[in-house]
Parts: sequence; structure tokens; C-alpha cells
Amino acid sequence: MTGKVFGQPIPRLEDQFLLTGTAKFIDDIEIPGMVHAAFLRSDYAHARIKKIDYSAALKRPGVIAVYTAEDFGDYWRPGPLQVPPPTAIKGSQFNARPLVPIAKDKVRFSGEPLAVVIAESRYIAEDAFDDIIVDLEPLPAVVDLEEAWENKPALVHDDLGTNMAALVKQERGNYEEARAKADVVISRKILVNRNAAAAMENRGFVVNWDEREQEMTVWATTQAPIPLRNTIAARLGLFENQVRVITPFIGGGFGPKIMTSQADDVLLPWIAMKLKRPIKWIEDRRENFLATTSERDQVHYAEIALTKDGVILGVKDVFYHNTGAYDPYGMTVPLNTQTHTISNYRVPSFYTEIRMVFTNQMVVTPVRGAGRPEGVFVMERLMDAAARELNMDPAEIRLKNLLEPNELPLRTGIIGQDFVEGVLDSGNYKANLQKLMEMVEYEKFRKEIQPALRAQGKHVGMGIVCFTEGTAVGPYEGARVTIGGNGKVSVATGISTQGQGHFTVFAQIVAEQLGVKAEDVNVVTGDTAHFHWGAGTFASRGAAVAGTAIYNAAVKVREKIFATASKWLEVPPEQIELGDGKVWVKGKPEQFITLGDLAFRANPTRGVIEPGVEPGLEATGYYGPPYGATGAGAVAMIVEIDPETMELKIKRFVIVHDCGTVINPLLLEGQVEGGVSMGIGNAFYEKMVYDENGQLLTASFMDYLMPQATDMPPKIEIGHLTTTSPLNPLGIKGVGEAGAIPTPSAFVQAVEDALFEYQLEIPESNLSPSKIFEYVQKASKKG
Amino acid sequence: MLPEFDLVMPRSLNEALQVLAAGSPEVLPIAGGTNLTVDMRSGRYEPKVVVDIEKLPELKGIRRENGQICVGGGVTIAELLKDGLVAETAPVLKSACALFANPLIRNRATVGGNLVDGSPAADTAPSLLALDAEIELTSQDGKRRLPLDEFFIHVRKTARQPNELVTALRWALPKPGTGSAFYKLGLRKADAISVVSVAVVLEAEKGVCRKARIALGSVAPRPVRAKNAEEFLTGKLLKKEVFEEAAALTAQAVSPISDVRASAEYRRRMSAVLTRRMLEQAAEQTGWKE
Ligand SMILES: Cc1cc2nc3c(=O)[nH]c(=O)nc-3n(C[C@H](O)[C@H](O)[C@H](O)COP(=O)(O)OP(=O)(O)OC[C@H]3O[C@@H](n4cnc5c(N)ncnc54)[C@H](O)[C@@H]3O)c2cc1C
Repeated sequence: MTGKVFGQPIPRLEDQFLLTGTAKFIDDIEIPGMVHAAFLRSDYAHARIKKIDYSAALKRPGVIAVYTAEDFGDYWRPGPLQVPPPTAIKGSQFNARPLVPIAKDKVRFSGEPLAVVIAESRYIAEDAFDDIIVDLEPLPAVVDLEEAWENKPALVHDDLGTNMAALVKQERGNYEEARAKADVVISRKILVNRNAAAAMENRGFVVNWDEREQEMTVWATTQAPIPLRNTIAARLGLFENQVRVITPFIGGGFGPKIMTSQADDVLLPWIAMKLKRPIKWIEDRRENFLATTSERDQVHYAEIALTKDGVILGVKDVFYHNTGAYDPYGMTVPLNTQTHTISNYRVPSFYTEIRMVFTNQMVVTPVRGAGRPEGVFVMERLMDAAARELNMDPAEIRLKNLLEPNELPLRTGIIGQDFVEGVLDSGNYKANLQKLMEMVEYEKFRKEIQPALRAQGKHVGMGIVCFTEGTAVGPYEGARVTIGGNGKVSVATGISTQGQGHFTVFAQIVAEQLGVKAEDVNVVTGDTAHFHWGAGTFASRGAAVAGTAIYNAAVKVREKIFATASKWLEVPPEQIELGDGKVWVKGKPEQFITLGDLAFRANPTRGVIEPGVEPGLEATGYYGPPYGATGAGAVAMIVEIDPETMELKIKRFVIVHDCGTVINPLLLEGQVEGGVSMGIGNAFYEKMVYDENGQLLTASFMDYLMPQATDMPPKIEIGHLTTTSPLNPLGIKGVGEAGAIPTPSAFVQAVEDALFEYQLEIPESNLSPSKIFEYVQKASKKG
Repeated sequence: MLPEFDLVMPRSLNEALQVLAAGSPEVLPIAGGTNLTVDMRSGRYEPKVVVDIEKLPELKGIRRENGQICVGGGVTIAELLKDGLVAETAPVLKSACALFANPLIRNRATVGGNLVDGSPAADTAPSLLALDAEIELTSQDGKRRLPLDEFFIHVRKTARQPNELVTALRWALPKPGTGSAFYKLGLRKADAISVVSVAVVLEAEKGVCRKARIALGSVAPRPVRAKNAEEFLTGKLLKKEVFEEAAALTAQAVSPISDVRASAEYRRRMSAVLTRRMLEQAAEQTGWKE
């Protein structure tokens, strides 16, 4: 598939702006007359609102207005639900409680907005908080998932009569029968801890209502500009084309920036129309921790049934999933868990049950990995437990149960976040693991290296795990490709970009088709005035879905180039060559037309054009997959632990990955490395801790630790396999979440292996020296 | 966001002390501002007046003075880290500075600010305690000197009066046969709050301990010395069993809490483990082999 530009490791085109500090971010936006918003947030996680009196705040110089839920009248309403639940799952129950923009009557999480202050500066707006009298009557906070399921100690949504947000049972085969036939059945309780997305840039929102133009412009750090525009327009009764959403450069998304229907995007446009002043709101880090969505936090009761030679007969998994105070994002996360639990293994019978609960914590929506790391963690823990029970090598039991290429495509029988039955489209899962074992010198490590190190008293262990990554889900994306009079190409697509490198890879796709340099392709993402159809950036789908739409549009433009050139060069299209920004007659390079010139000729200002021919060298393309493409891989990591302090060093990190066709190997490595660092963070550094009152104890970077460069392994060794996806013409699968998915599973296994003498069984995904110490203490007491 | 305040920028120590003279808790000095700006943003402190002492020449400088080392209260961590005199006479402090925050913060953070902040996790505190440092406090009424051990009272509570500035720290030049070591156990290689930190200074003669100082951070409401272990070590031959015993005594001298970083039990146990390791390292430096 590799061409002159496509598939080449060219450096990122956007870096010239990002690295020289000239890129425009949302806080760089200044509009004459602009005022600032600040949200007064609840300190309590669960409380009844008795009174909010802001009359004193209005008297403070510089304060323009203050609003509470009541002040928005009929405009205040919950939702809409951003992702509905799939109706295709028979018997599934879902209680919709979409986000409310600002608390009314009751507060349901600590950090929920109570009032919004508009002032001449953000300083004044925040100072005015002191003038607002808030009378809240605290209620018992719902924090424990299993207690919440029993409706204890309180109801998050009183009118619902239950804390159940969803109950979903899916089964393929028949687990109970499989269990009855099994030689061994292993059950475990497994926890997956909660992490923040912690993008470098917090969220932000700027809105300008132009009364005379009757047009609204919104700048937002959103991953979903078009859905955002659509909901803002619908709420205000405007046409979609009266609202323009622009995403400037964004410092990271990782999931939560997909959210709409939050205080900023619901309330500020309405206020801007009322006040006829532009408004800016920039989230601070504390707000981001408290009131931007985050993810993980599941409790699993899982079971695996096997023959005595380690062949899996069935898996059962009943799990509690914390959706937080509302469930605006449907069941995306736990459904991803369901589709990724058995992932690349051959599991004839699988029963999986979601028990999604409301709690008095911040809402849970996807964060890089989005339910997949949970599923993989549970399965890999079960595999480890089975290997131990059956006295098998962890790699051996995995090799034995991985699906073979000839078993694909495989219908999994489990309906996923994209509302269709999951299908493993292509892959060579065993080859991933085999290649990994070669790279990490598996046999040598087990037989020579590790025994020698142990003999020296060193505690060195390896974790080795497999995973899949469902990517590139529907519904669709679109793009328009246009050749300009300057001979360069402009591309506009509806998804937005948060640092992934879209400006480069999309340019590569187009440059290859149109015979221009990648630098001569200008990509516009996330501006609804440039392209106004699409769903957004999520589920590792940018390159595969928007990239394919761009490819489809580019192919059409290419055809149009040949058709138009044929007319002007007066030879059939087969005798025309395209390259270096021009077309020429084969063998007669002096008979050429530049693409710029051709673009002018395709758009005449006088004369006639042929019927059926659209003007310009331009085309629009769309792509919607029937179901997602599934990437896969395997990870091995070697750690050394100080057996007294439990401080830990990652000696090697090896990942083999298959995401189909590679558009740019350099950027691919960046994506994998980024995912791995996030996975390492999830496993050993980053943890959101709520106390029994629903207070977030880790609401700053002092307490919520992100790994830094110095905490990374010396090198992340990456191996590639390429099994192209049959689902799109380029054979692409996504990769954005890959590294984050398997890493905690490998980490925990490596820790257990390093401290082998204690026979630890660690049932949770986030560790720390103190945590490991605790497990060792427990094990030593037992042994 | 920072609340509103007046910023006073005195040109001399005297001017600064004048502004502070009223002794009002609403008037706070600011040096590097790496604690105070954070605390003002979060609303922990809301001073009406902030006195910038960062550039005062009287708080600067590291020098030898009557057989002692004298460090100005406004000396930054970066200055301590690259100072030859500190490296030579107080390597235990240099080690602490090397593990302090990150290079950006070290350029601003001062030793005075670190101690006055009153955090049990202040990273210069264990080393300065182990060096038997004295702290000099100056007000318009004059100067007073205290052993640093008497300066710390509780979390965010010190012996400093609101009208006083930390103008200097002093400690004695090391005697021959001195060894020292520092370790900071944090959850990340850089830029992390100490979970446990330990500083040890030993003076020995032919393998016999003449004086021992063991000080720890993050294991009590203030940086603490393990005086029971220090006494136990004095007069003992420096060897493995003795270190183990001293380490066990150290674990009794601490009163750690559990928080999001670690459990109390872990901190207590690490107090012992790290003390033993630091004693071993320090003993090696005294030039005596078992
Ligand atoms: C990102 C980050 C990382 C950090 N990492 C570490 C770390 O690893 N280890 C660590 O110990 N600390 C760390 N800190 C905390 C802080 O940097 C240190 O405590 C620093 O030494 C404070 O010094 P300062 O000059 O900035 O103090 P300031 O913030 O200016 O002042 C702190 C307090 O001391 C008072 N004060 C300052 N100077 C004097 C004086 N001469 N006399 C009287 N009162 C005075 C102020 O009024 C204030 O109450 C970190 C802080 C940040 C923001």
C-alpha cells in the first residue's frame, strides 16, 4: 500500500505551528466587548438545594449578571441524551437520566454547577462567589457500586425509585452448560479503578451572538463540533447554518471533550443572546477534575470454565459499572467492556451482564480505552488465574486459546456500542503473540535471564497479555476535497482534532491520490462552516472513518482531473499522467496543464458546461462502515521491584500491534507510545479517589499523579503486523487507544511474577508501592 | 484565580520588616511564591498585603562564617544545588535539593519558604535537622536563633512570629569521620511529594558512633528526629545489627497517617527500611569498614 507519500514517515505538518507557539488555542480568542463566565459549584456531592441568593453579587462592580436554574425558565431542561441505548439488545433495560445543565432542586455530584456569574473579568466573576448565599441540605452520598445497586444509602434520582441505570444481559452459546462440562472453574472479584483523561488543555467555550447578522459563532474545545452545533441550534430554535462551531488547536481530548449538553454549551449561548455580549469560559484544572467526565470504575464477578488442558469452554462476567450521577452517554462504556472481554480468544460460551448504577460522583463517559481496558483486564486476570491453577505458562495458555485467522471474520454474538453485533473482521492474533515472544526473547527470559537474576536476589518479572481494540465504528464521516486556483488542495472534514496528527495523515491520503506534495494539502477539521456533516472524533475512528471519506472524495477528484484534462489536452484519459501538481500527455511532458490552471478551467465564468458535470475540481465523499474494524496486539513488560520499598522500574516494554494499513509509521509510533504512557499512568500513577462523602480527594496534579518522561521505560519497543481490514478500501484500523488497553493487565501480571515467592493475586488495576506492600503483607500473613 | 491583594516591594530588609512590623497575619512575605501563590489561588491564605522579599540582598548568599556555614533565608534550591560549599560540607542537603520538585520550581523555591510553609513533607527539612541547623529569625525588634528542631510545631505551624523573616540558616562544618545520606521515596521520579524521606548524619571514630542524627519527613505532623534511635546509636559500633535496631526504633518514633499516596503502615515500615539503608550508606562514608 505504501506510495510516494502515503505510508511514509513524514514529520507532522502541524508541528510548525505547535512548536513555535503560533498555534491558536481557545484562550487566545479575544473579541471586543467580551465578558467572562465562572460557575459556582457545589461542595456537596448530594444535597437538596434550599436557597441560592445572589442579590449581593449583583451589586459588586463589574458583575453583569448571575443566573441559577430557575432563571432559565423553560429553557432549563435535561439533555438531550447524547448517545441513546441500543434497542437491538433484547430485554435490556435503560433508565435515561441525561445531564442537567445546572443543578435544580438537588445536587448530584460534587462540582455540579449551582450558579453562573457573568462579569467583566474572570477575577471579578470568581470574587462574586463570596457574595452568593447558598443553602444546601446534605444528603447521604451514594458511592459504593454494589450498595448503590441495592438503592443504598439513598436514591440519586428520587423519581426513578432505583439507582439502576441499566441492566443488560448478553450471551453466546450457553455458559451454564459449558460450566457443567468443565474440569476447572475459577471465579474472581476484579476491580478496575477510575482515571481522569487529564488532557494538557482543559475545556473552553467562547460564544459570540451577532445580533445584526443573526448568526452565532462558537469556539469550543470539542471532539464533536457538528453534534454540538446541532444541539445548540435546536435548543435556541435557530437553523443549523445560523450557528458556526469552530475548534481551534486543542491540547488533547482523550474522550471527555466529546460531551455536549453541559453547563457551558447549554447556558452560555442563551446568555450571550440575552446580554448581546460575547462570553468566554475557560475551565480551570480543579473544575476539570471535578466536573469534566472521567472513566473506569467497575466491579466484576467473573468466572472462567476450562478443560484440564487449559482449553476455555466458557466465561461468565457480571459487573457493576459506575455511570456517575447521570447517564448522558448511554451504555457505550460498559458495552465496550462486553465486546472486549473475551476479545481475541476462542470462547464458545460467554455470558455477560451489565449492572450500571447511578452514584453521587462525576459522570462517566469514555476516556481513551473506553470500557475496553476493563474487559481486557478481567479476561487477562482470568487467564492468569487459570494458568496458575493448571500449572501452565502464561504465554502457553494464551497461545492455546487465541483465535486462528481462518476463524475470521467471526460474529461474536455480542452487540456493542455501535448498536450492531460485534464482528472480528480480520487479524492474526497468534502471530501477534508469537512475534512478541520473539522480540522479548520469551524462552530465554524464562529459562536463563530470569533464573539468573533471581539467583542474584533480584525481583524481576514479566507480564505478557493479548488484546483487541474495536475501532473505526460508524455511523459515518464525510469530507470535501477541492483543488484551488493556487494548485494546492484543500480538505475539509467534520471531525475535530486534538493533537493526533490529522493534518498530516489526511494530507498524505490526498497527496497520494492527487499527485501533489503533502505540504500542499491544507486540511481543515472541526469547523462547521467548512464541512457540516459528521459525528466526531472518538473510538479510534479518525483515520479509518474520516480518512476513508477523504480518500473517497480524493478518488472522485482524481477522476475529475483526468476527465477535465482529457478535454483540454485532447487525448483520452488513459494517455494522461498526473504528478508534481500537473497533468501532461504521456511521453510529451511539454504538453501540460497545472492543477491550478485546470481548476480554473473546470469552473468557467462564461460559456457552457456539459450537462451533468459539476463545477470545479471538487468532490465530497462519505464513508460509513457496517461495523467497526478490530485492531489487535500483544504486550510484554519486564519490571524490577525493590522487595522492601516496592518501588518499581520498567526494564522493558514491548508491544506488537496490528492496525492494518499504516498511513504514517512515525505518527503510528507516537499514538502507540502515547497510549502506553497513559496505560502506565492508569496502572501505577493516576487514580481518582472519592471518599465516602463523594468528595474527590485527588482534584489536583499534586494528588493525581501523571507519569512523566522520567517514569517511562528507556524505550517502548514496537513491532508491527499488518492484516488489512476488508471493511474499507485502504485497509485501515484505528490505533488511538491501543497502548492504553493492555498495559494495566501486563503491569499487574509482571508485578506478581517479580514477587513470585508471595504468590500474589492482585485483583485491581491501579497499583502503587504502598498497595503492593499491602498485598505482600496480606500474602505473608497467609503463607 | 488569585484574589485581590496589595503587593509591596521593599528595597531592603529594614523596609520589609517595617511592613511586617504590625505582626498581622493578613500581611505575608512572598519569596519564590511556589507555595503561596498556590495557596492563595485555592483560598487557603487570603492576605491583604503581600511583601515581596525575593530580591532582598540581605537574604542571599552562602558563606563560611565562624566555623559555620551560613545560608541566607532567600537562597533558592537551585543555588543550594550548585553551590560548591554545600556540596563539600553538607552533601545530605545537596541530595535533598537534587530530588526537590523540578528545575523550574527549584529556580524559584527558597529554603526559607520551604521551612516556613510548615509542611511535614518539606524536603530540605530532614537534611537541615540532621545537620543540627539553627534558624535565624529577624524582626524590627532584633534577631533570634533557634535550633531548627524547635522551629517546627505542627502541620503549617512554626515558631515564626508574623513580624519575623527567616534571614539565615547555620550549621557547623562537618568533623572528620562524618558520613551522611538522604533518600526521598516519592510516587514519581520527579515532582512528587515525599511519601517518606530520611536524612542521616553520622559522626564516627574508628567505627564507633560519636553522634547520630536521623530525621524524617512525611511521617508525622512535622519533620521529626528519631531521637530514641540517635541515642541508641551513640557509642555503638557501626554494624548491621545496630542499624537494624536503630531502624526499628525509628519506626516507633514516627506517627504517620494514611492518605491517597500511602498507608500509615507502609510509611512506618519504610521509615525503618530507609533509615537502615541510609545508616549503612552514611557509615560507609565515615571511612570505617566492619
Ligand atoms: C510543582 C511544585 C512542586 C513542588 N515540589 C516540592 C518538593 O519536591 N519538595 C518540597 O519540599 N516542596 C515542593 N514544593 C513546595 C515549594 O516549592 C517549596 O516549599 C518551596 O521551598 C517554597 O519556597 P518559596 O520561596 O516558593 O515560598 P513562598 O511560596 O514564597 O512562601 C511560602 C511561605 O513561607 C513564607 N515565607 C517565604 N519566605 C520567607 C522568609 N524568608 N521568612 C519568613 N517567611 C517566609 C511565605 O509567607 C509563605 O507563607 C513544590 C511546589 C510546586 C508548586
